[in-house]
Amino acid sequence: MAHAVADIDPVETRPLLVEGDPGFHGITQAVARPVETKPPAGWYVALGFSLVGLTCLAVAISWLFWEGIGIWGNQIPVAWAWDITNFVFWVGIGHAGTLISAVLFLFRQRWRTSINRAAEAMTLFAVACALIFPTIHTGRPWLDYWMLPVPNQMSLWPQFRSPLMWDVFAVSIYGLVSLLFWYVGLIPDLATMRDRATTRARQMAYGIFALGWRGSQRHWYHYEKAYLLLAGLATPLVLSVHSVVSFDFAVSQLPGWHTTIFPPYFVAGAIFSGMAMVITLMVICRVAFGLTHIITKLHFERMARLILLTGSIVGYAYGIEFFIAWFSGNTFERFTFVNRAFGPYAWAYWTMVSCNVFLPQIFWSKRMRTSIPVLFVASLFINVGMWFERFVIIVTSLHRDFVPSSWDYFVPTLWDALTLVGSFGLFFTLFCLFVRFLPMVAMSELKAVLPQAHPHGMAPDARPEKPLPREADARGGRPALGDGGEVPA
Amino acid sequence: MGGHPHHAPPPSATEVTLPKRHPLARLVWPAAIAGVVLVAAVAFLAGGDPQRVWGGYLVAYLYFLTLSLGGLFFVLALHACRAGWGVVVRRLAEHLAATLPVFALLFVPLAFAAPHLFSWFSPEARQADHLLSLKAPYLDPGFFWARAAVYLVAWSLLGWWFRRASLAQDASGEPRATRRMQTVAAPAIVVYALTFTFAAFDWVMSLDPHWYSTIFGVYLFAGAAVGVCAVLSLAAMWLERPAGGARGPLAGLVTIEHYHDLGKLLLAFVVFWAYVAFSQFMLIWYGNIPEETLWFFHRWEHGWKPVSIALAVGHFGLPFFVLLLRVVKRRRPLLAAISVWMLVVHYLDLYWLIVPALSPESPAPRLADLVAFAGVGAVWLAAWGWLLAGRAAVPVADPRLAESLSFENA
Amino acid sequence: MRLRLPTPPWKRPDRPRPSWLVARFAGPDELLAAAAAFRDAGFTEWDAHSPFPVHGMEKAMGIRASKVPLFVLALGLAGAAGGMLLQWWTMAVDYPLVISGKPLFSWPAFVPIMFECGVLGGALGAVGGLLFEARLPRHHHPVFYAPGFARASDDGFFLSVASSDPRFEAGATARLLRRLGAGEVETVAPDGTPGYAPLEAR
Repeated sequence: MAHAVADIDPVETRPLLVEGDPGFHGITQAVARPVETKPPAGWYVALGFSLVGLTCLAVAISWLFWEGIGIWGNQIPVAWAWDITNFVFWVGIGHAGTLISAVLFLFRQRWRTSINRAAEAMTLFAVACALIFPTIHTGRPWLDYWMLPVPNQMSLWPQFRSPLMWDVFAVSIYGLVSLLFWYVGLIPDLATMRDRATTRARQMAYGIFALGWRGSQRHWYHYEKAYLLLAGLATPLVLSVHSVVSFDFAVSQLPGWHTTIFPPYFVAGAIFSGMAMVITLMVICRVAFGLTHIITKLHFERMARLILLTGSIVGYAYGIEFFIAWFSGNTFERFTFVNRAFGPYAWAYWTMVSCNVFLPQIFWSKRMRTSIPVLFVASLFINVGMWFERFVIIVTSLHRDFVPSSWDYFVPTLWDALTLVGSFGLFFTLFCLFVRFLPMVAMSELKAVLPQAHPHGMAPDARPEKPLPREADARGGRPALGDGGEVPA
Repeated sequence: MGGHPHHAPPPSATEVTLPKRHPLARLVWPAAIAGVVLVAAVAFLAGGDPQRVWGGYLVAYLYFLTLSLGGLFFVLALHACRAGWGVVVRRLAEHLAATLPVFALLFVPLAFAAPHLFSWFSPEARQADHLLSLKAPYLDPGFFWARAAVYLVAWSLLGWWFRRASLAQDASGEPRATRRMQTVAAPAIVVYALTFTFAAFDWVMSLDPHWYSTIFGVYLFAGAAVGVCAVLSLAAMWLERPAGGARGPLAGLVTIEHYHDLGKLLLAFVVFWAYVAFSQFMLIWYGNIPEETLWFFHRWEHGWKPVSIALAVGHFGLPFFVLLLRVVKRRRPLLAAISVWMLVVHYLDLYWLIVPALSPESPAPRLADLVAFAGVGAVWLAAWGWLLAGRAAVPVADPRLAESLSFENA
Repeated sequence: MRLRLPTPPWKRPDRPRPSWLVARFAGPDELLAAAAAFRDAGFTEWDAHSPFPVHGMEKAMGIRASKVPLFVLALGLAGAAGGMLLQWWTMAVDYPLVISGKPLFSWPAFVPIMFECGVLGGALGAVGGLLFEARLPRHHHPVFYAPGFARASDDGFFLSVASSDPRFEAGATARLLRRLGAGEVETVAPDGTPGYAPLEAR
C-alpha cells in the first residue's frame, strides 16, 4: 500500500484524498452501504437498459452463428471492419484499470485508491467484451480452440509467427492477470463484507472468497509484497498488451498500418480512452451511491490531467505519422494519409482528431478539469473519438487497396450496429452487478492512506521508553512479563 | 513518510553550497581549456577523413546533449507530477539542464561538418536521387539550420529559466515559485517532445536519408532518460563525499532511499528503452521492406553484428537482471557500478546509431572518437561545475524538500 | 480394510489446540507499540490484526523476509522459458513449416508470447506465494470467536496470542496486554465455546 502520506500538499495547500474526516469506520459504512441496502431506483433503470443491450448482443451473435459473417458489412478489401474496431476499442478501455491500479501504484499516486477498484472491475468487463470479437469474427467460432496450442485432429500447431496468435496469448493472459490483481485487492474487503453480513448466505458467499482473511499483520506483510510484485508485473503487461494489439497491424506492409510508433501510440490511446470511461462511470456512481466525499473533484482533476497527457501523446503520434508518411517519399504512404484526412472517410478522420486531440486541450484550464459536467461530456466524446480512431486506422487503410479496381466504401449493416450496442449492454450489465454486490472502493487501501493510519508516536524498531519490568518465571526461570504495574481500568 | 517533515529539518543554503575549493569547482577552468583544445584537435584530425571524424564528434556531441536534455526532462517531469521524492537531487538536474546553451556553441563545429556528415546536403545529391528530391523541402540546409536554431534556443531558454527560477526561490523562499514552475512545466513538455523528436530526425535519422521510423524520436529519448538517471546517481554520490577539505554539500541529505528510487527509475527506463528498441526492430524485421530493413542490415554486416548484440545485451539484458536485485539499488558502490555501465552503453548506443551510416564497412573506433568525447565531455563538465560552484546544490526553499528529505521507500 | 485417517494435530492428546487471548487496542500507534513489546519479550505464537497494513509492523513484529519475490522470480522465469520452448518446439521441431520466408526459429516473433507467459508465471507465483506464505485459505480460526473481532476488518486493532506460546503465562500475559493499553482482553476457546473458563482457573 502507499505509505508515504502527506496530510496536506505543501504547494496546493488543500486537503488530499478523502473530504471531511470519515474515519476508518466511516469509510467502511460509506462503501458497504450500496452493497448492503436496496439500490436506488436508477440502478434498476440502468440494469434494465443494460439487459436490453445484452439481449441485442445475444440476438446478433445467434444470427451471426446461424447465417455467417456475411451479415456484417465486411467485404474485400475491407475484410476487417467493425469487429476488429470494437475489439481494439474494448481492449483499450480495459487498460485504464490496470494503469490506475499498477502504474499509479508504482508511482505512489495515492489518489488512485478511491477509484482503483471500480477501474479494475471495468477493465475485466471491457476485456470480456473485447474477447467476444476475435472469437466471433473467425467465421466458424466452434473451431476457435484451434487457436490454442492443444493437439488437434489435424496434428497442426497454431502459427506462432502470426501476431494474431500473440493476441490470443496477450489478451487472455491480460484478462487472467487483471482478474488475479483485482481479486487479491478484494480479499480484505470481502472479509469486511463477511464480517458485516447479516444473513448466513451473505456471510458464506463473501466468506468463501475472503479465504479466511483475519487482517493478520503477518498476512498483510506478504500481501503487500505480493501486491507490489503484481503491480510490477502488470505494468509491463499493460504496455505489452496494447503493443501486441498494435502489432496485428504494424507487422504488415500496409501503408497506414506498418509504422514503428504504433506500440507506444496504441498504449497511450488505450489509457486515454480507459480514463475517459472511468470518468463516465465514476461521475454517475459517486452521486448515485453517495460517495462524493470519497471520489472527489481531486480525483477527476487528476484523471483530466492524465487525459490531457495521453490525448496529447496521441496527437503527437497522429502528427508524426503524417510527417513521416510525407518524409518517406513513398507514394503509397503519402496517398494513404492524404486519403485519410481528405478522402471519403474524412468525416471519420476529423471526428477522431477533434475528439481526441482538440477536445482534451480544454483540460489545460483548471476550471475545466474540476467541472464535473464538462468532464462527463468530454469523456463521452473522447470515447466516441477513440472508437473512430480504430475505425479510421482499420477501414481507411484497407478501403483503398493498392489496386484501384478493388477500391470500396465500407458501410456497416444493422447487425454490425446491434453487436456494438450489445457489447455495451454486456459491459454495463456486468458493471451494474459489480456495484450492487461488491465494494466499489478499495476500503482497506483507502484506510491505509488516511492520515490517522500512520503511527506517529513510535519509530518502528524503537523499544518502549521505559523497559518493561520482568519477573522470574516459576516454571523455567524465564522472565515473564506484565506483573510490574497497575492494570489500567 | 512524507507527512512528517519534522523528521529532518531542511538545511540552510550555506550548508548545501558547493564550496569553491571543491574539486568540481576547481576543475572548471582547466577542463574548459582542455575541452576547447581537444575540440580544436578534432577539427585538425578531420582533415584526413572528415566524414568519419566528424561522425565521432557528432556521437560525442549527442552523448552529452542527451544527458543534459535528460536533466531537463527530469526537472520537467518532477514539476509536472508534483513529485516530492526527488526534490533533493533536482538542483543537480537543473544545473545539468542549464548547460544546454553550451551546446549551441558546441554546435558551431557541426556547421562546418554538416556537408560531410549529411549526404543530402549538396543540391546535386538531392536532385540525383528521386526520393531525396521528394524530401527536398525538409532536407534543405537553410531549413536545417533554422530548425537547429529553434531547438537549441528552446532548450537553452528552458534549461536556463528553470535553474534561475529555482535559485531565485532559494533566496525568496516563496512557495509560489514552485507553483509557477509547475505551471510552466506542462507546456514545456510539449515543446520538449517536439524539439527532441525533430532533432533526432534531423541529426541522426537523416544521416541515412532514405530511412524513416516514426518511433525514432522516442528511441533517442529513452536513451537520454536512462542516461540522466545514471548521471544523477553518480553526481549525488560524488557530492555526498567530503572533498577539498570540506564536507560534501549533499552529505546527510541524499539517503539510500533516494538512490533506491533513482535505481528503480533507471530500471524502468532500461525496460522502456528495450521496449522501444524492440518495437522498432521487430516491426521492421517482420515487415522486411527493403528501404527500412537496410538500416538494420548496415548494423549487422561487415563486423557490426557483435556491436548490435553487445548493445542488446549491454543496454538491456545485463542491466535488467542486475537492477532487478534490490541490493544493487540500495548499495552505493553497486549502483555506481551499474550507472557507469549504463553511461558506457549509452555511448555504444549512439555510436551504433550514427557510425554505421558513415562507415558501414567497419565498426572500428578511431582515436578522434576519443578526442571528441574527451573534448565535448570536458566542456560539458566545466559548464556544469561552473553553474554549481558557489551555489546551493539543493533547492533549500522548495516546499516539497521536507517530503523529499524524509522520503522512505515503502 | 478400514481406511484410517491420521489424527489431526489438535486431536492428539500431546498437542491440544491452544486457546487464544485477543486484546483490542485503540489505534495503530498502540498496536505498534504493543507489537514491539511482544517481540522484545520473545513471544512467537502471536499476531496483530488490523483493517489495513500498519506501516513499520514487519519490523515491530520481527517478521522474517517474505519469500513471495522468490516465487515470482522462479515462476516468471519458468513461464518465459516455457513460452519460448513451446514456440521453438512447435514451429521449428515438431512441424517445421516456412511461413513468409522467415526462419523456422524466428525468435523476434516469439518474444511477445514468451513475455506474456513470463508475466503469467510471475503473477501466478505472486498469488501462489501469498497463499503459501500466509497459509490461506484457512476459513476457520479461533480468533474469529472473540467478541467484537469482526471490527478487525473495519476499524479495530487487535493483538492475539496463543496459549501454546512458550512465553504464554495465563494471568501475566493478559495483564501485560492491559498494561500496554489494551481495552478488552478476551479469552477464546479453540472451538469458540462460549463462556470458556479463564485460563488462570485451568
